[in-house]
Amino acid sequence: MFKQIKDLAGGEMYLISSLFIFMVFFILVGVYLIKMNKQHINNMSQLPIEDQENQINEYEIH
Amino acid sequence: MQLEKFTYDNKIVRNFGIAAVIWGIIGMIVGLLVAMQLFSPSANLGNQYTTFGRIRPLHTNAVIFAFVGNAIFMGVYYSLQRLLKARMFSDALSKIHFWGWQLIIVSAVLTLPLGITTSHEYAELEWPIDIAITLIWVVFGINMFGTIIKRRERHLYVAIWFYIATFVTIAVLHIVNSMQLPISFLKSYYLYAGVQDALVQWWYGHNAVAFFLTTPYLGMMYYFLPKMANRPVYSYKLSILHFWSLIFIYIWAGPHHLLYTSLPGWAQSLGVAFSVMLIAPSWGGMINGLLTLRGAWDKVREDVTLKFMVVAITAYGMATFEGPMLSLKQVNGIAHFTDWIVAHVHVGALGWNGFLTFALLYWLIPRMYRTELYSKKLASFHFWIGTLGILFYAIPMYWAGFTQGLMWKEFTQEGLLKNPNFLTTTIQIIPMHKLRSIGGTLYLIGAIAMAYNLAKTMLAGKLVANEPAEAMPLEKDFVETDEMDKKWHRSLERKPIKFLVLSLIVILIGGMVEMMPTFTIQSNIPTITSVKPYTPLELEGRDLYIREGCVGCHSQTIRPFRSETERYGEYSKAGEFVYDHPFLWGSKRTGPDLHRIGGKYGNDWHYNHMIDPTSMSPGSIMPAYQWLAEQELDTTQTVAKINAMRTLGVPYKEGFELKANKKLAEQAELIAADLKTKNITVKSNKEIIALIAYLQRMGTDIKANRLTIPSNQ
Repeated sequence: MFKQIKDLAGGEMYLISSLFIFMVFFILVGVYLIKMNKQHINNMSQLPIEDQENQINEYEIH
Repeated sequence: MQLEKFTYDNKIVRNFGIAAVIWGIIGMIVGLLVAMQLFSPSANLGNQYTTFGRIRPLHTNAVIFAFVGNAIFMGVYYSLQRLLKARMFSDALSKIHFWGWQLIIVSAVLTLPLGITTSHEYAELEWPIDIAITLIWVVFGINMFGTIIKRRERHLYVAIWFYIATFVTIAVLHIVNSMQLPISFLKSYYLYAGVQDALVQWWYGHNAVAFFLTTPYLGMMYYFLPKMANRPVYSYKLSILHFWSLIFIYIWAGPHHLLYTSLPGWAQSLGVAFSVMLIAPSWGGMINGLLTLRGAWDKVREDVTLKFMVVAITAYGMATFEGPMLSLKQVNGIAHFTDWIVAHVHVGALGWNGFLTFALLYWLIPRMYRTELYSKKLASFHFWIGTLGILFYAIPMYWAGFTQGLMWKEFTQEGLLKNPNFLTTTIQIIPMHKLRSIGGTLYLIGAIAMAYNLAKTMLAGKLVANEPAEAMPLEKDFVETDEMDKKWHRSLERKPIKFLVLSLIVILIGGMVEMMPTFTIQSNIPTITSVKPYTPLELEGRDLYIREGCVGCHSQTIRPFRSETERYGEYSKAGEFVYDHPFLWGSKRTGPDLHRIGGKYGNDWHYNHMIDPTSMSPGSIMPAYQWLAEQELDTTQTVAKINAMRTLGVPYKEGFELKANKKLAEQAELIAADLKTKNITVKSNKEIIALIAYLQRMGTDIKANRLTIPSNQ
C-alpha cells in the first residue's frame, strides 16, 4: 500500500525534506500551544458569546 | 477611558445575504439543467449558448463564487465587526465590494454562455474579469484589515485567523493562476503550458476548495456555532492546531488531481502523502465543531439552525475522509474521471457549504430584522427536503461512479475489453443520472422555500441597518503588563500584519517545493523531438474546442493502465504537451478520452458526428454542434495568436505569422476536398473544418515516431 509513497524513482529528497519541514512546523505549533496561558484561552473562547453583552439593545429570539 | 458608542453595519450583511440566496437559486437551476442534459440531449435547447460545455462552468462559477462567495462575505462582515467590536472600516468600500462582486458575477453570466473562457476549471473567466476580481479582492482586504486596525478587542479570535488566511491565499492563487498573455479584449493564452499549466491549475483548483469553500466556512463555524449553541467552542487549542496544520498541509495536496498523468512521479507522491495527512486537521475541525454541541444536543432537536449546522459539519467530515481516500493511487485509478468525484464534490457543496449557509441565513435574518422567523415549520421542511435531496443526489452518483470505474476496466477472459464501446457505460448509468436530477430538484425546492420564508420574515420585521453597540477603546500605548503578553505566541494574536505575513509564508512553502523543480529542472518534462507546434488551422480549431467547453466532458490524458492503452492507445507523455497553452487534460470522462483521436476516424466521421452525434454513435448524449458548419471561422486574430504563442516559447519561425492565414486556407481546402469525396459539401472557411483539423492532429506526433520518445517516459 505504501509503495506509491516509497517508490519515488529518485525523487525521495523532495518527500523527505517536505515531511521534515512539516515536522519542524508541527513541533513549533505544538510548543506554541503548550505555552499558551489557560486563562487567555478561556477568554478567547468566550469572545463570540460575550459580544452580545456589548450590544445596547440585546434581543433574543425564542 | 470612556465607553465608546458605535454601530454595526447590518445592511451590508443583509445585502450579501440576499445576493447569496438569489445567485444560489440561479446556480442550482443551471445545475439542474446541466444534470438533465446528461440524460436528455434535448435539454441543451438546440443552440450554442446553452450547451453543456458552455453552461457547466456557469453552474460551477455561480455556486462557488456567487452563492458561496456572497455567503462568505455575509458571514465575515457580520462576525468580523462583532469579534473586533468595531464597525466595518469604510461603508464606501463595503458598497464597492458588494456591487463590484455582483458585477463580476454578471460578467460571468454574460461571457461563459458566449464561449469566452480560459478553460481552466473554476478560473474560466477571461483576463479583464480576472483583473476586476483582483481589484475587488483588494477592496475586501483593505476593508477587513482597516477594521482589524481600528478594533476595540486586542486579540484576534481564531475565526479571524481563518478569514486572514482566506484573503491572502486566494489572492496568491488567483494571481498565479491568472498569468495570461492577452490576444484581444476577451481572449488570452496562459503563460504556462502542458504539465506545468496542469500543476498550476490543480494547485489553484484544489486550494480554491481549501481556501474559498473551506477556511472561510471554518471561520464562520467557529464564530456562529458557539453563538447558536450558546456555549464556547469545545477546544480553543484544537482550533489553533486545526488552523495552522490545515493551511500548511492543504496547499501541497493539488497534485492528487493529476495522479497517473505525466506529472513527475515525485510530485504525485508528495500530493498523495500530504492529502492523506490532511485528514488529521480536517477531522480535528469536525470533531471540534460537533463537540461544541456537547450538552446541547437537546437544542438540536428544537432548533432548525443547529440541525443544518450538524448536517453541514457531518458532511464536512465525510468529504474530508473521502478526499484522502480518493488520493490513494489505487482508489484514484478507479474513481478519477467518473461520477464518483461529482458525488464527492456535492457532499461538500450541498452539505457543508449549502447547509452552513442556510443555517446562517435562518439565524441572521430574524436577528437583523428584530423579528421571529416567519415559519419554523417551513424551515424544518427545508431541512428535511434538503437532506433528502443530498441523499438522492449523492447515492446515485456514487453508484454511477463505481459502475463507470469498473466497467471501463473490465476485461474478458480472453484479455479483451469487456465494454470496448465507451457508450455502453454511458447508457448504463443514465437511470442514475435521472435519479440525481430528482435529488437536485428536491434540494432546489428547499432553497426556494427558504427564500420565501426569509422574504416573509423580512417583510414582517424592520432591518436594524445600524445596530448600536458600545465597547471600551483600546489603549493607544499598550503596555504589556501581563508576563504572558510579552511572549511571541501571544503577541502574534495582536499583530495582524505579522500574522498575515506568517500565514503567507506557510502557504507558499508547499506550492514552491512542488512548482519550482517542475518549472526549472529540464528532466521533469522530457521533450520529444517529433512533437511540433500546431498549424494555424489546428490552433484555431483548438480555440474552438476551448470555446465549446469540450474539456468539460472529454479528457486528453491517457493513463498508463492496460485498460486505457487498450481503449485509447499509447499513454500520454509530458513532452507531448509542451506547446499546449493552456493544457486541456480535463477532469471528467462523460465522453471518451480524445488524446489519440487523431487519425482514428475519417474527416467525414467527425463531420457527421459533430452535426448529429447519434448518427455515428447511436445513443450518444453529446449535443449536436450544427452551428460549426454554419459559422465562418474568424481568422482575424490568427496572426496575433501565432505571435503570442511565439512569445510564450512556441518555436514558430520569424515571419511565419505572415504566411499563417495562407497556410490555414490551404489546409482547410484539403479537408473540405476530402469531405467532398465523401459527398459532404461544406465550405473550407467554416468553423467545423478547423475543429476537424485539430481533432485529427491530436496525439499523432509520436504515433509514427515512437523512437523519439525518451527512455524515461
